[in-house]
Amino acid sequence: MSDARTDMLGRVNKALAILPERAKLPDWDAELAIARKLVEERDALEVFAERIKLVNGLAMTDIAELATYLKKGGWLSGYCDPALVPLLAPKLGPEFNLSTEFDRTRVDDFAFGITRAAGGIAETGTIILNDTLTSRRLGALTPWVHIAVLPRKLIHRTLTDAVHALGDDPNVIWCTGPSKTADIEGILIEGVHGPGAQIALVIE
Amino acid sequence: MSTPSSNRPTGKRVQLMSTCLCDAYFDDAAKATVEVLEYLGCTIDYPEAQTCCGQPAFNSGDWPASRRVVRHTAKVFTGSAPIIVPSASCAAMLVHGAPLEFEKEADHAEIEKLGNRAWELADFIVNGLGVKTWPGKFSAKIAFHTSCHSRGTKSGESTLALLRSIAGVDLVTFGEGEQCCGFGGTFSVTFPNISKGMGDLKLEHIRAVKPDMLVSGDSSCMMHLAGLAEKEGQPIKTLHFAQILRDALKNGGLLPS
Amino acid sequence: MSVSPIDGFAAGLTTETRDAVYKSTKTTHEKRTKLLFDHFPDANRLREIAGEIKQHVIENLDTYLPEVEKKLRANGVQVHWAPTAEAANQAVLDIMRKRNATKIVKAKTMVSEETELTHFLEKNGVECLETDLGEFIVQIDHDHPSHIVRPIIHKSRRQVAESFEKNGLGKYNDDPNVITQRARVFLRQKYLEADVGLTGANFVVAESGRLVLVTNEGNSRFCLAATRCHIAMVGIEKILPRDRDLALLLNLLARSATAQQLTVYTEFIKGPRKPTQPDGPDEMHVIFVDNGRIDVLASDCRDILRCIRCGACLNVCPVYRQASGHAYRSVYPGPVGAVLSPLLAKEKFPELADLPKASSLCGACQEVCPVNIPIPDLLLRLRNKNKQEHGPSSGTPPMGAWSILASQPFAWKNALALGGTVNYVPRALMPAPLRKWQDVRTLPPWRGGEFRKWLKNRPTSTKAQS
Repeated sequence: MSDARTDMLGRVNKALAILPERAKLPDWDAELAIARKLVEERDALEVFAERIKLVNGLAMTDIAELATYLKKGGWLSGYCDPALVPLLAPKLGPEFNLSTEFDRTRVDDFAFGITRAAGGIAETGTIILNDTLTSRRLGALTPWVHIAVLPRKLIHRTLTDAVHALGDDPNVIWCTGPSKTADIEGILIEGVHGPGAQIALVIE
Repeated sequence: MSTPSSNRPTGKRVQLMSTCLCDAYFDDAAKATVEVLEYLGCTIDYPEAQTCCGQPAFNSGDWPASRRVVRHTAKVFTGSAPIIVPSASCAAMLVHGAPLEFEKEADHAEIEKLGNRAWELADFIVNGLGVKTWPGKFSAKIAFHTSCHSRGTKSGESTLALLRSIAGVDLVTFGEGEQCCGFGGTFSVTFPNISKGMGDLKLEHIRAVKPDMLVSGDSSCMMHLAGLAEKEGQPIKTLHFAQILRDALKNGGLLPS
Repeated sequence: MSVSPIDGFAAGLTTETRDAVYKSTKTTHEKRTKLLFDHFPDANRLREIAGEIKQHVIENLDTYLPEVEKKLRANGVQVHWAPTAEAANQAVLDIMRKRNATKIVKAKTMVSEETELTHFLEKNGVECLETDLGEFIVQIDHDHPSHIVRPIIHKSRRQVAESFEKNGLGKYNDDPNVITQRARVFLRQKYLEADVGLTGANFVVAESGRLVLVTNEGNSRFCLAATRCHIAMVGIEKILPRDRDLALLLNLLARSATAQQLTVYTEFIKGPRKPTQPDGPDEMHVIFVDNGRIDVLASDCRDILRCIRCGACLNVCPVYRQASGHAYRSVYPGPVGAVLSPLLAKEKFPELADLPKASSLCGACQEVCPVNIPIPDLLLRLRNKNKQEHGPSSGTPPMGAWSILASQPFAWKNALALGGTVNYVPRALMPAPLRKWQDVRTLPPWRGGEFRKWLKNRPTSTKAQS
């Protein structure tokens, strides 16, 4: 194996040795990568709610609204991060069954999954998940409805801000709407391997 | 892409490259170029020993053969005057293609200098001589085809600006204007089915806007599209824009008879 | 000059397929352009800078590869080196064998198509399942993808429904919703039963060691949530220098590929799962794959290694729209494939020699490329390379005689004078190019020498010099 490494690196060196000089790394202005017109002078939550809607996600600020939404879809039984139960159980009401254990042998028994978001991006309508704050990766992924509970102050204005905040978590995921495909004749279908409904529950 | 440099020589003493296609088929486009340049006050040197820009062999991948022709061209176009070319593809060959195939050659610098003198005609009129509008009159509904070799240059926008400014010209746009007509040099005969497919698609878009004529700055595109249309029994009128400029002057009584 | 394979394929394409490909590529291209320029008025500047960043990386791979390896190792990732397709496949198998693993689920990665990983693993007793919907359909159909982003762009829903029925995935139903649901149900169990998840990587950042995966379906997330071992197969050219460069490249990638601002899932993977996270891999491997890339690096076509596999060039290419992906007979079709596939084919270059020629050099590809690759220049270099190395058998039209004619003014003027006589020669005896031209188009009337005659007789300030 180290032979393969030596071989490859040796051939890379040889390949590049013929270049009289090497292309420089450009120093580019961060402003270039910002879609300014989307976020200029606007409230981050307002932009976030607008843009998540454009990708067929939903931003809610009221737990009662979430309860209505889930009842309407018939999604009454699901997984919930135990840390969120004290906040949500009372406000959702007794019709809901919140399991704090995720059983991967019964994935289809969980109609929804509620986990904590690590942030959001206003410019793109994105919910940020990571290993630190997501109680179960599978709990956020496999149910039809995923609800990410997102503290308002964690919403970044721009994608650039979010890149700077990537940090050291080994598994940061930017979720921009429900899972989708257009593989069949270019027709958009939502809910492929991941959630078919993506909700951000924004709290203070 | 062949973006010409911003420091090309300009002025009213110019050399003319007529291009091999005008030499063989489109003499009136070359004549119109002369009449237009003279109207603008230019003195034109025409090196008689010129032949071709070398593009056909270059595109085919026979670079040694192409270089032979380019060297001849460099020998023929002596001096430092601007070289005016009524063809975006020939201009692109001088500006970009020739330096590319000479990148490992000893006379690379000389070929680059040659390229740095080349102007496509519309680019020269608008950006070299600073003439932004065109006088005279020409009454027609015109569809303009921006040839692919105009990419990265100011030729397309320059030609459109001139045509649009002519009294009587109704310029119409058609769908998928950015798509290639399908000529591509020897591509037209080595990939005949695809070339015809591309050309037929272009003709379909053009016919949908019912122009009186199709105009371009590249005779090769016109030759391909006109040839396809005629073979299919639905001929279309094609002209080089230099002919429009010249005829506008004539109609306005601005050219000596 | 016989008709090239790509041209022949185009001629034989059904209207159904050509229309499917045309509609899809045109729509995506137009949406891409609208979105990109709506959000970034100076979008071409973004492409230029992204191109400079990638060019810098490939010209400094001798520094970046060891640097990124060091960072990955520090993050707890095991790094492997695969000079060939066989070595890459073997590396995957070795990792699996070490874990007594027999089931692998894979997300979409073009490099695994190059190495034919799935076929190799199946031959060695491993169940290897594609999870991207399009690739899954390709797999059960024993077909090949025809587009690097939209694998089944050439298929109709009817054809997909028939495949599903044939493979025991339910009675014929061509409703895309139903098809997708069936795939969802079938594959979820497979993820949960699998031992290993395999992905590619869109980017690997040298500064942080982060892998970046860009997907829409949730399949790569599932591969990395359900299994305990993550293997990433990555071409050596996928490196980016700094995390901050991601802001630029991510803004360009999804808009260029699918006309989305961002794909649904952008995953930033720095290592195995956090110990407090119950789901996910304990073990993570990155296999850096060469498979001909270092030869490309050594050639004058190295710029093609900037490619971030967005597919925008395929979507705008008029040749791709006429011929569709399978005409290119390679993993990479379209403009990027016309350069990359012959180069990666190494000694099999002659079999793909028509690829660099299958272009009118229109330059639309370069104009949409998010990393500004000068594809037409690279195609021209390959045409030159082909002629130099394979001479008469290169299929290049004979240009030697023409070039002599075009460098001898006397001969040239004679040709102008006499050229019209070719119109009187029987078609069968004409030079092949003229014959082929006239199969499909008429020729304009011959006017050889007329312009020069007119000029000589013209009493004005124009001087004809000998």
